[in-house]
Amino acid sequence: MPVGEPKLGVVITTAGGLVAGDRLDLAVRVAEDAAAHITSAAAEKVYRSTGATVRVRQHLRVAAGARLEFLPPETIVFDSARLRRTAIVELGSGAGFLGGGILVFGRRARGEAFTAGLLHEVWEVWRDGMLVWGDAFHLDGDVAATIADPAGLDGAAASAMLILAPPDRDPRGFIDAARERQQRSALPGLRGGITVVSGLLVARWLGADALLVRRAYADLACHLRQAALGLPPRLPRLWQL
Amino acid sequence: MPAMRRRIITMAMITSLYRLFAWLSPAFPTGAFSYSHGLEAAAAAGTVHDRATLLAWIAALIRVGSGRIDADLFRDGYRAAASGDSAALAAANRRGVAYRATAELALESMAQGTAFAATVGAAWNPHPPTLRAGVEGGPETGEGVCHAVAVGAAAAAAGARLEDALTLYLQSFASNLMSAGLRLGLMGQTDGQRILAALEAVIGDAAAASLARDPEDFGAAGIAADLASMAHETQYSRLFRS
Repeated sequence: MPVGEPKLGVVITTAGGLVAGDRLDLAVRVAEDAAAHITSAAAEKVYRSTGATVRVRQHLRVAAGARLEFLPPETIVFDSARLRRTAIVELGSGAGFLGGGILVFGRRARGEAFTAGLLHEVWEVWRDGMLVWGDAFHLDGDVAATIADPAGLDGAAASAMLILAPPDRDPRGFIDAARERQQRSALPGLRGGITVVSGLLVARWLGADALLVRRAYADLACHLRQAALGLPPRLPRLWQL
Repeated sequence: MPAMRRRIITMAMITSLYRLFAWLSPAFPTGAFSYSHGLEAAAAAGTVHDRATLLAWIAALIRVGSGRIDADLFRDGYRAAASGDSAALAAANRRGVAYRATAELALESMAQGTAFAATVGAAWNPHPPTLRAGVEGGPETGEGVCHAVAVGAAAAAAGARLEDALTLYLQSFASNLMSAGLRLGLMGQTDGQRILAALEAVIGDAAAASLARDPEDFGAAGIAADLASMAHETQYSRLFRS
């Protein structure tokens, strides 16, 4: 473990991917004033389903004064896959959190798109027992039309979201530099945006190429872990592509 | 006496519709005219530039975007108030406050929700008690008011049918966006009305879908619209607050 880095936890899917009907529960608890970085060994694959839904529940508890980074690499959703995934983040007073995820719609390397199935992903942030922010991404029915829609996913091959709860700091103090950083990684085919809402900094991307989204996401994550968490601007080795 | 009974029901329905029209009218002082829900940024980017693209933009927001979320919040606010369950109403409101994608979309819902609850409370009688207990937390509690939940709760207190009330709510949302489009010079008055006419079926279907929806399917896929709202925060020249 490099100097100055928090404890690293790596989630491994030994089956190579998630198939219809799988249920996965992940509970992470960071004790008072402790620090941890959770990631996965590889991109998560969700295989096509003929009916049953994969359910993943992630419960991330960060005690008072503790810090958690939750930065798994992308989830690749095969065409006709069905996935419901929730991430509940509970923050104690002064707790810091940096986390999010990347969704890739279909096996793009094989020319496959996500045209049918179910993708439902919920993020909730709770502070002192109260829901302060939530986001529910829901994609079903005519999935291809919603992905193509200029108000929907605007033709994206991948999307990403990154959430920062700075420990004991107003997130508005980080937005200008974060926007500048995000704009610096702007490329044709990649759209991004950053806001501060309910005491959190939230960044999002849509990209025509999953690799562009991954790079921009990792770049901002490096920036924010240094700016807000005082950690070196780098991510675990599996991010280096 | 079936004739008499029918007449009484009709009077109650007219009263509730009277209230809904007043509360969802652009003349009701929630400041609706000052919000574009990110449309101003989408127009500046050229994504929305005429009647067809504005119609598609509004339809998408209602079918799969933030309108889908607000429809379900409205429904939950209505049902909680209709059953007199102030804990459920408070939970729906908290969810409505929390599920906001951007700073300006949060402002749009909270500022209008707060103004709505305060004005209904001050000027309309009877003031729905569950609205006061469950939604109108006010400055003492620091709790915000979600516009969709507050209107849903008030519609239940007024005795409106959920289907009617939700259809009118979504119509007012669409109408406000169309009006913003007019002021952004995207099309003329008649084309604006063509947009509303074309949205009639979209809104009817969206209201019916919300009433039948599995609560587990609460959510939206309007990420590009959310990005437009984020872009609006730093837009140089702006007419609107969102």
